[in-house]
Amino acid sequence: MQALSDLLYRLRALFRRDVMDRELEEELQYHLERETAKHVSAGLRPDEARRRARAWFGGVERIRDDTRDSRGLVTLETLAQDIRYAARGLAARPIFAGGVVLTLALGIGANATMFGIVDRLLFRSPATLRDAGTVHRIYTAYDWDGERRTDMNLPFATYRDFLHNAKALDGLAAFQTRQLPVGDGTDTKEMSVTVASASYFSFFNSRPALGRFFDAVEDSVPQGAAVVVLGHGFWQSKFGGRTDVVGQTLRINKQLRTIIGVAPEGFVGMSDQGVPAAWIPLSSYAFEFRGGSRYVSTYGWSWLELVARRKHDISVAAAEADLKASYYQSWRKELEGSPRSVSPDSARATVVLGPVQINRGPLAGRESVVARWIAGVALIVLLIACANVANLLLSRAVGRQREIAVRLALGVSRGRLVRQLMTESLVLALFGGVAGLLVAQWGSAALRTFFFTADEAVAVTTDTRTLLFAAIATIVVAVLTGIVPAVQAGRGDLAVALKTGSREGTYRRGRTRTTLLVLQATLSVVLLVGAGLFVRSLRNVQGFRLGYDADQIIVAGANMRGVSLNGDEMNALSERFLIAAREVPGVTHAALAATIPFWSNEGRGLWVPGVDSISRKGRFILQAGSPDYFTTMGTRIVRGRAFDATDRKGGPNVVVVSEGMAKVIWPGQDALGKCVRIGADTAPCSTVIGVAEEMRTRSLTDTREYTYYIPATQFDLPMDPQLFARVSRDAATRVDDLRNRLQREMPGAAYVNTMTLGRLIDPQRKSWEFGATMFLAFGGLALVLAAIGLYSLIAYDVAQRTQELGVRLALGASMSDVVTLVMSSGVRLVVVGVVLGGGLALWGSKWMEGLMFRQSPRDPVVFGVVALVLLLVALLATSGPALRAARVDPNIALRSD
Amino acid sequence: MPIDLPQGTLDLLILKALSLQPMHGWAISERLHQVTRAMFQVPQGSLYPALHRLERRGLIRAEWGASDNNRRAKYYELTRAGRKQLAAETDAWQKLTTAVALVLEQA
Repeated sequence: MQALSDLLYRLRALFRRDVMDRELEEELQYHLERETAKHVSAGLRPDEARRRARAWFGGVERIRDDTRDSRGLVTLETLAQDIRYAARGLAARPIFAGGVVLTLALGIGANATMFGIVDRLLFRSPATLRDAGTVHRIYTAYDWDGERRTDMNLPFATYRDFLHNAKALDGLAAFQTRQLPVGDGTDTKEMSVTVASASYFSFFNSRPALGRFFDAVEDSVPQGAAVVVLGHGFWQSKFGGRTDVVGQTLRINKQLRTIIGVAPEGFVGMSDQGVPAAWIPLSSYAFEFRGGSRYVSTYGWSWLELVARRKHDISVAAAEADLKASYYQSWRKELEGSPRSVSPDSARATVVLGPVQINRGPLAGRESVVARWIAGVALIVLLIACANVANLLLSRAVGRQREIAVRLALGVSRGRLVRQLMTESLVLALFGGVAGLLVAQWGSAALRTFFFTADEAVAVTTDTRTLLFAAIATIVVAVLTGIVPAVQAGRGDLAVALKTGSREGTYRRGRTRTTLLVLQATLSVVLLVGAGLFVRSLRNVQGFRLGYDADQIIVAGANMRGVSLNGDEMNALSERFLIAAREVPGVTHAALAATIPFWSNEGRGLWVPGVDSISRKGRFILQAGSPDYFTTMGTRIVRGRAFDATDRKGGPNVVVVSEGMAKVIWPGQDALGKCVRIGADTAPCSTVIGVAEEMRTRSLTDTREYTYYIPATQFDLPMDPQLFARVSRDAATRVDDLRNRLQREMPGAAYVNTMTLGRLIDPQRKSWEFGATMFLAFGGLALVLAAIGLYSLIAYDVAQRTQELGVRLALGASMSDVVTLVMSSGVRLVVVGVVLGGGLALWGSKWMEGLMFRQSPRDPVVFGVVALVLLLVALLATSGPALRAARVDPNIALRSD
Repeated sequence: MPIDLPQGTLDLLILKALSLQPMHGWAISERLHQVTRAMFQVPQGSLYPALHRLERRGLIRAEWGASDNNRRAKYYELTRAGRKQLAAETDAWQKLTTAVALVLEQA
């Protein structure tokens, strides 16, 4: 209450200043009049009475000033004064000020950048999501093959069951984002399209920019309506933002759809996979894709993501229990229809309501984990920057000791002095914060490719959350950097400071400064160790043998888009495909294949005589290829032979197994000649004719993943033609040539997609690339800051000790003695930092383990190199001042001042 | 010979004076002059800064009104917080004086 009246009074004093001044004038005038009148009535002459009154009252001017002071306005007025004073002081030392601002800008900028990314990945709910606190993504968890699995995709039938049974929900939406061909003819492009239930839009507070969203009728089972809502960005780029698009048609996948509306600008939906070009009704897509209404009742197609809105008065746990009951019913219904051998009870199935953002849920990607780490690292960099600036300010404050002492002696209060120093660091931090936003703007643009698709704008200077964060960071920085010098200035013995001259004081380096420097060195070591570990992980990933030559291979896949061919026609097309591909200049080999790594994979049941439940031993992926397959891919045969043109349909069935598969299925035996039954336990034997190296198809880190290879001719795989083409080099430059050539073979609306195999694998390496880049950048930054800090500390020492060093030289110390003396004082600090930082990094290594790729987080090489680098930098940073110290002329040093 | 007012007591005296009725600045100074029987030198110059300080702290409230000689004058009155403050300070003051008196008598 008192604080409020205080604030109101001060505000009034600030903004109604003239009114308050006038009132005070009137009040004082009144007082004087009454006093005069009193004296007159006591018998004095009026002029004498007025004189007495005034004398007794004191100087009106002074009273006016004192009263103004008591209004509390002074704080604000002196603040302005302090800011002017600080600005003058800093302008007088532009290099010092520039260095500090730059340091802070890098620190704050790095943090604002990382905040923007982590905020989007983890904290921010999708734009315009209504009442985000009650909206959850539905996960299921269950035991499968001896391990606990968490899933976020569910079949349509389960979605329907939830809709009917769940009482805890206020809303439920199902959706999935797919890459679908959009447009007609040569205009066709594969784009993100979100397939959504009509209820999807009711989760948002958004009105369409044009037309309307689709409704429940247009999304009714089984067929829905052929309509589409365009995304704002796509509407702008494809239709130039024309308002007459509503009512026009657009082909998506096979169907021609009527455009009924355009989503508003900034509407991204639940967007965990970028912003889609369009939204289409779930039922219409499912019906088209599955060619009928079976999708409604089957539990065999888990393809939908679910978000639910919990009723306000129902707890998360209660809602989960409610959904779990419904889930168990679905599961049991599924057991009746198809033989899924385990009951929900024995699988310990549960339903989990997680945050809407995938990256905050149980299935968060490695990128988000790494991003969290980097955000932590950015904070460390900011700490180092603060330590550095505090150090610089401190050395300046020490240099100003005499000035400060004089001002104290002249009657400036210590509080005022502390305020003034704090103002200085606040001014510096403000400049640093503004410059930091520019750094962040640039940094976000550079980094967004790691995390976001191109259409998700990352604007820093217009984002209120990022701006708020930067503002808070700036204030924290101001306090952190200002507090130490201010406290030191506020202490200190006046008399001592005045008596001893600036140079006379015995040489003494503040413990605070030493501690700050050791802290910097320590943190730099930690960051550099992290950088080293990530760099080595990245190199391991890049050098990791995938089981094929990814860099030389182009993938081409046909999308038949509704053109239906019978088996023979399809085979003929595949053959033509192969021949056409080989005609493209630069292509040396080409082979058809069933599985494309990190894109789509095939699997069949597998039976091996004498071996029980193969699926327990790992995941076995089927690869079927045409005769040239192994040569095309560069996959090495370790034993036996590859399949070739002699392994024909109707001939003895053959199979090539991977090394790992041979080892887990026939441990200690020779796999060659063994029998494998593929597809059914009654299928004829496929004889193992060769052992090939392992192929990575789903994950770089999963070691329980094996591949077996069969000749495509011996299996009828119902699939659109797809092939690998091997080029001698520069796969990227041949991608378009290959597509153009193959497109000529395509009938009707069917079209061909081509891309380098490398592009499919890149995302797998992303987390290490990002980790290595960021740790290196931040680690390097930290190192530079620490080096500057060390340099300035030693240089300052030398300046302070000039006289002492002069005495030493005069007494016969050699130049090298002085150099050693000066350098060792700095290097010692760094050694302490290296030891502390090394210890810290070792201690933290257990949390890094999961982020590494075939790399121990306790790698002695990394630790050794980092220690060496730090020592080298320490030597470099101290050598300059040390040499200057050695050149001190004793004559001058002793005579000066 | 008037004595100087101990530091910090001016606020207390003002609050006490105002506890009887709302008053303007001059009246306060007169009142203090009378009740202290001119023993305290109430520096009129420091009266107004003190009044404004108390107003800022929300202990007193100011309002313009007509004075007894029909001029516009600024009247001050205690707020509820001011009353509480007065009670607390009076209490503290009495304890202090009692304690000091005890010390002076016995030592």
